[in-house]
Amino acid sequence: MEAAGAKETREDGSDIYTNVYLEVQVFIENKRYEMCAKMLLSLAALTLGGCSSDGLYLLKPEGLISHTFYHYFILDVVIMLFIIVPTTLLTIWAMWRYRKGGKGSYHPTWSHSSTIEIIVWGIPLVTVGILSYLSVKAIYDVNPYNPGVISKVQKANGGDPVEVDVIATDWRWLFIYPQQHIASVNELVVPVGVPVRFRLTSTSVMNDFLIPQLVGMIDVMPGMRTKQALVADKAGTYIGYSADYSGAGLSWMHFQTRAVRMAQFAQWVKSAQQSPQHLSYAGFDRFAKPYIAVGGDRQIFGSVQPGLFDHVIDEVMRGKVWPTPMAMTENMVNYMKKQRAEQKAGDY
Amino acid sequence: MLVHLQGPWTPVLGRLTLQQIPYENPILLGTFTFVAVLAIAILAATTYFGKWEYLWREWLTTVDHKKIGVMYCLLGLIMLFRGFIDALMIRTQQAIAVGHEAPGYMGAVHGYLTPFHLGQIFTAHGLIMVVFAATPLLVGIMNIIVPLQIGARDMAYPYLNALGLWLTTAGAALVMVSLFIGNFAHGGWYGFVPYFELPYSPGVGVDYWIWTFQLSAIGTSLGSINLIATIVKMRAPGMTWMRLPIFTWASLSTNLIALTSFPVLMVSLALLALDRYVGTHFYTAGMGGNLMLYSDLFWVWGHPEVYFLILPAFGMMSEIIPTFSEKPLFGYATMVIASFAIGGVSWGVWLHHFFTMAASPSVNSFYSVTTMLVGIPTGVKVFNWVFTMYRGRVRYELPMLWALLALFLLLVGGMTGMMNAFASSDYMWHNGLFVVAHFHMMVLVIAASVFGAVEYWFPKVFGFKLEQKWGKWFFWFMILGTGWTFVPMFLLGFAGMTRRLDYIPYMQWSPYLHVMLVGMVFYVLAVCFFVAHLYVSLRDRVSNRAGADAWGTGRSLEWMTHSPVPAYNYAFIPHINVLDEWAWRKENGLTELHAGDYEGIHMPKNTGIPLFLGMLFMGLGFALIWRIWWLALLCVALIVGLIILRSFDRDTDMTIPAHEVERVERGARDETPATARSAGMPGGAVTAHSALRPGTDGIGGGTTSTNPSWAPMDR
Repeated sequence: MEAAGAKETREDGSDIYTNVYLEVQVFIENKRYEMCAKMLLSLAALTLGGCSSDGLYLLKPEGLISHTFYHYFILDVVIMLFIIVPTTLLTIWAMWRYRKGGKGSYHPTWSHSSTIEIIVWGIPLVTVGILSYLSVKAIYDVNPYNPGVISKVQKANGGDPVEVDVIATDWRWLFIYPQQHIASVNELVVPVGVPVRFRLTSTSVMNDFLIPQLVGMIDVMPGMRTKQALVADKAGTYIGYSADYSGAGLSWMHFQTRAVRMAQFAQWVKSAQQSPQHLSYAGFDRFAKPYIAVGGDRQIFGSVQPGLFDHVIDEVMRGKVWPTPMAMTENMVNYMKKQRAEQKAGDY
Repeated sequence: MLVHLQGPWTPVLGRLTLQQIPYENPILLGTFTFVAVLAIAILAATTYFGKWEYLWREWLTTVDHKKIGVMYCLLGLIMLFRGFIDALMIRTQQAIAVGHEAPGYMGAVHGYLTPFHLGQIFTAHGLIMVVFAATPLLVGIMNIIVPLQIGARDMAYPYLNALGLWLTTAGAALVMVSLFIGNFAHGGWYGFVPYFELPYSPGVGVDYWIWTFQLSAIGTSLGSINLIATIVKMRAPGMTWMRLPIFTWASLSTNLIALTSFPVLMVSLALLALDRYVGTHFYTAGMGGNLMLYSDLFWVWGHPEVYFLILPAFGMMSEIIPTFSEKPLFGYATMVIASFAIGGVSWGVWLHHFFTMAASPSVNSFYSVTTMLVGIPTGVKVFNWVFTMYRGRVRYELPMLWALLALFLLLVGGMTGMMNAFASSDYMWHNGLFVVAHFHMMVLVIAASVFGAVEYWFPKVFGFKLEQKWGKWFFWFMILGTGWTFVPMFLLGFAGMTRRLDYIPYMQWSPYLHVMLVGMVFYVLAVCFFVAHLYVSLRDRVSNRAGADAWGTGRSLEWMTHSPVPAYNYAFIPHINVLDEWAWRKENGLTELHAGDYEGIHMPKNTGIPLFLGMLFMGLGFALIWRIWWLALLCVALIVGLIILRSFDRDTDMTIPAHEVERVERGARDETPATARSAGMPGGAVTAHSALRPGTDGIGGGTTSTNPSWAPMDR
């Protein structure tokens, strides 16, 4: 394409760069375009000015997995921009130069060039080849069941991972710490720098477990067990939520993740174990009924009946359901009143 | 009852009760009033102007592929508007309901739409835009253009064609009915299981979703059979495969996808229906069901469906860009190969719709790589379009502007698509707004191509061009709307924001959501400009009349016949000598259409049976949704009866007499292109010999209507 362009310049007998320069000049001098651009730019500045980058969580990774994602993500984008930007420029150049009445010479029958064909198949082929290699590498690095990057850390540092069993109900998160025999609702506490390994299941429908700054999504499915793992790099509080549509209460199905130092974690476990609340199989049956956690709902269970996680999977596989009432949130204000009344009556 | 139903059921009315009419909801009440007034006005106007007979004869009972195509497009446009209103409501709700202090109205805790209502709106938005807006628009344009491009007089199965239209319309009508009777599904257009199972979606919403989807699936499959048969069997003599116009190639590829994938959808929906009606356990979590089965089955259809939508759009771009670059398409053969490569790869990528479902890394790797492979033929297409403009003489008329917008959107959509194919990135934003913004870029590629194609082929169908002024306002405001809506949406994707939220807890996202509202304002203005565009075009139709070759630089066969096209398309079936036949004829001064004495033309007869079948299928759908078993059985009986009745009807075709053809041809209001010199037809025109049985009265006499006019569509 470069060669073809150069040839054309010679046919015209003028320098291609001067031409482009002149064309740009004409474009700029056209006041209407300028005015238009100014108006649009100021409108854009006005509207986007209010946005801050505070909330762009995926671009602020704080965990091993999310850092790995970020690394590959940047690599992926940069490689693609090497193709997309020149293609865009080429398109604009062709649109401008070969417009009717433009400088480009007109060849009414030209429609084939083997050289160009080879190039246009070659470029995407090579790019896709490189990206595929990177993609496969990245998939193994962040594989939820056994992330390459976490295995490496564990091999180097030794030590046991913290285990968390996650049960998604309609519409709350229950985090069970089987080693510590405690459970927490809508709050996940993990130690910094230590691998945390999750087993996940759901009572009713499909959910998706996500902590944007720490780890990507994994589906949480009823009657099935999936796995996930993360290492938090820095102490802090991170948002987490269900990413898959699971019904009326989804929007309020978020949880807080607190990454704390190991000593603080031990302290938290100790204080949690002091909680008088106990979660039995029967209690869980009541807990798993549809509940919309407007305004948040955090609880700590000081003791949990062992094997609750596997018990829930078994029950669901045998056909246990926690049905949703019909047209439940047709009037949500009314439903919230009803829910509050029921909550006062019941206990786990 | 084999399953446990919440709420009452009676043998006469099924689940239907007075409480199912949402007369207490002011939004729905307003909508209903609007629709009712509009309907009454239309009915009254039709009666007042005495147009019932015209409507019945020329449109409702027609089997003419052009009129059916026009009705498909009209249906698509109406549903596009409905889908847009849904989008408007989603955006306003999400802009209001941010942070725990956001106010709530009309029974909502935050914003003005409860999850129950918002759920229906985003489900309807998705389903309508995919199967009742994009699909009818594309099918409609293929229906009109493909027979013209291959020199055929109609589709291979005109009756089937009408049936496909009315089944799709029945589905769309049921979606609209769900607004006022009962409610629609509230869990996303592709249906989550087990969320769509009876315990978690106990209302009739999911049943509406199942049967409307099913009806449109049947309609589209019938259409694909028809288009494939037409392209394979009805090409004009001399039109070898490598002389096939590129849009026809795209249509062939896309309909092969449709024919092979839609049955999978029908099966997956039927299994879900069995779960909900009979109590089987195909997709339930327990009792041996497997919810992953649904994801697989649905997306085995769903991903090819995406290419079913995008390939015709590519085909339209490939027609428009050469015409306005005034030179042939660059790399025709490569374009054909690329279309089929995309069609082929489309079968091996569906798992990327659930990368997060914990498949092993080797499986995810496979699908990540196959998904990226799509980028190769797509990239080739982009380059080929650019090299079509290269060394051309590009005119920026409206169709070309739309085609180029589609090209730029494809660059954005393609790049973000490749980013999604990168599975480790997809884990982070899978159900997030980044994916949503990406596929909206892609459907906007489709939308831009469709608008371009409508501008481009409008004079061919109606005989006059659409005006340019308001059309350009519409064009630029669509761009503004797209920028202001989707740039923030991509950024929110990087924020990790997910789909389908009724309430957004994080205040940091609020500015982006407000900027998107600005984008929606631009879109609303764009819609207004579009209406002005149509109105002014219709008003000034006489001064915008166009000749056969409306743009002056048309290349393919459809530009050879009159604009508007007569009922029989071509008085003489042309003989095809080269690719880009019309451009070749113009170069060689062979533009004269008349080549000897006219002969009678054999054409299919109008029939009202497809319309009645569509109504009955709608009744069947309604009965199944509300579980009114007697009505369902009645509809099935009538459907079977009508099909049997039709199969005994031997009076299904007719001959347009030679003198009629001559009259229409002489009356055709084309202006002969100034450059055209009269010359004989090269290779001799092949006239269609009508092989007619002697006329018999059909037993379905009541349903076979009187002869329509042969003249082109009214101006």
